[in-house]
Amino acid sequence: MRKILILHSSDNVAVCLSEIGNGEVIEQDGKKFSALESIPRGHKIAIANIELNEGIIKYGERMGHAISRITAGSHVHVHNVLGDRLSSGEV
Amino acid sequence: MNNSPLKAYLRPNGSWGLRNHILVLPLHSALSSSARAIEEASQGAVAITHDWSGEIDADLERIVSTLAGFASNPNNFATIFVTLDSPNERRIIERAKLLGLSNFVHLSLADVGSMHKLVDVGTREADQLIARALLQDRIPAPWSAIVLGLECGGSDALSGITANPALGVASDMLVDLGATSILAETTEILGAEHLLAARAITPEVGVEIVNTVLRYESSINYEGIDLRGAQPSRGNIEGGLSTLEEKSLGAAKKAGNALFTGVLEYAEVPAVPGLFFMDTPGHDIEQLTGFAAGHVNIVVFTSGRGTPTGSATMPVIKVATNTPMATSLKDLIDLNAGTIADGVESLSEVGNRIFNEIVAVANGKETKAERGGHHEFSLSRLYN
Repeated sequence: MRKILILHSSDNVAVCLSEIGNGEVIEQDGKKFSALESIPRGHKIAIANIELNEGIIKYGERMGHAISRITAGSHVHVHNVLGDRLSSGEV
Repeated sequence: MNNSPLKAYLRPNGSWGLRNHILVLPLHSALSSSARAIEEASQGAVAITHDWSGEIDADLERIVSTLAGFASNPNNFATIFVTLDSPNERRIIERAKLLGLSNFVHLSLADVGSMHKLVDVGTREADQLIARALLQDRIPAPWSAIVLGLECGGSDALSGITANPALGVASDMLVDLGATSILAETTEILGAEHLLAARAITPEVGVEIVNTVLRYESSINYEGIDLRGAQPSRGNIEGGLSTLEEKSLGAAKKAGNALFTGVLEYAEVPAVPGLFFMDTPGHDIEQLTGFAAGHVNIVVFTSGRGTPTGSATMPVIKVATNTPMATSLKDLIDLNAGTIADGVESLSEVGNRIFNEIVAVANGKETKAERGGHHEFSLSRLYN
């Protein structure tokens, strides 16, 4: 059974298919790393190190950018990600 | 034929039907009961009804295109128009002819003479057409015979990671083979329009995608609603969605990664094969109606909660986003994509299953919505 779902080969995040525990080792799709914190089902986990301001890539597309450095195995969500365009005023 | 396994009904204008329906279409809402009565008395005609009563207002053009496009959908072997013979009803018939409809019967109440006779004559005409339709055989058809509509409704937290991207895999395969695929729902792509525009075949098409969203947004913003600022909602965030782009991509990935060939107005018929975006409302049935009017001949509908929506002309394949719903609503769901979230199937495996189901249904396999007789229809209005 897969623990995570990588939607596109160029993605730097994956979706957790079940709740992942802190320290849990994920070995799948040629990747091996440990979760650095517990992450709920349906939420994203970094599968590569992501630098500050670097794009968050899901589906092979840029869904926002990192607002802090994100280490592989971390929970990726609103505390460390921001959309590139927040409101119609910025389009 | 590019090794296509498809067999379909060739129409006089060169388009392909995947079904051979006799459609009974009232052009005034007051004739709805007559159309239904013809459907029930006939040996298998399908009727739809609507609430347009000949109003001449800002929505008239949209209603004419919708009814004319629906009547001329290539899945119809023939269409029986039931009318009060007003100028705008005649305009709809003329438009349907321009869109390729050659096999039709026009029954006006005044000509026929009574409501009772209208049903009698309509039923007789329907049965004759049904007998003729049965004589037409499916013949080998190219991949371009498929005009696929991509739809989602009753979405859940898994839609964006299971059924939608798996449908995208199938859509990409079909577009690559030369078929047509249409993404819609302007409300759903808001926030990801710049990413879709980047996949347009020309910069002009990209600008059209962005402008379609801006046009919709400005029509809402004048009411003081900022659609972007309110998203993603707290429920979305709890489910794991972090940005508006991510939420919108989850819907837009029904269209995979192919390049966009063009943008269609509501109910517009694509002129060439490829991937298109159609400007439709988010309302499921209005979107489905816009697809039928745009000559879509098969639809895949992904759902998290299970939506019993179908069409009188187009087979609609239902794909569940999660296994519990697929298991509980067996008479509604054709395929389960929840296996991706269960960790037991990959996106490409489910995408291949969807592709194979599209081919089987195109060749005549009955969908659950067809078996259930789900024939929803709704006119889309902008102004009233």
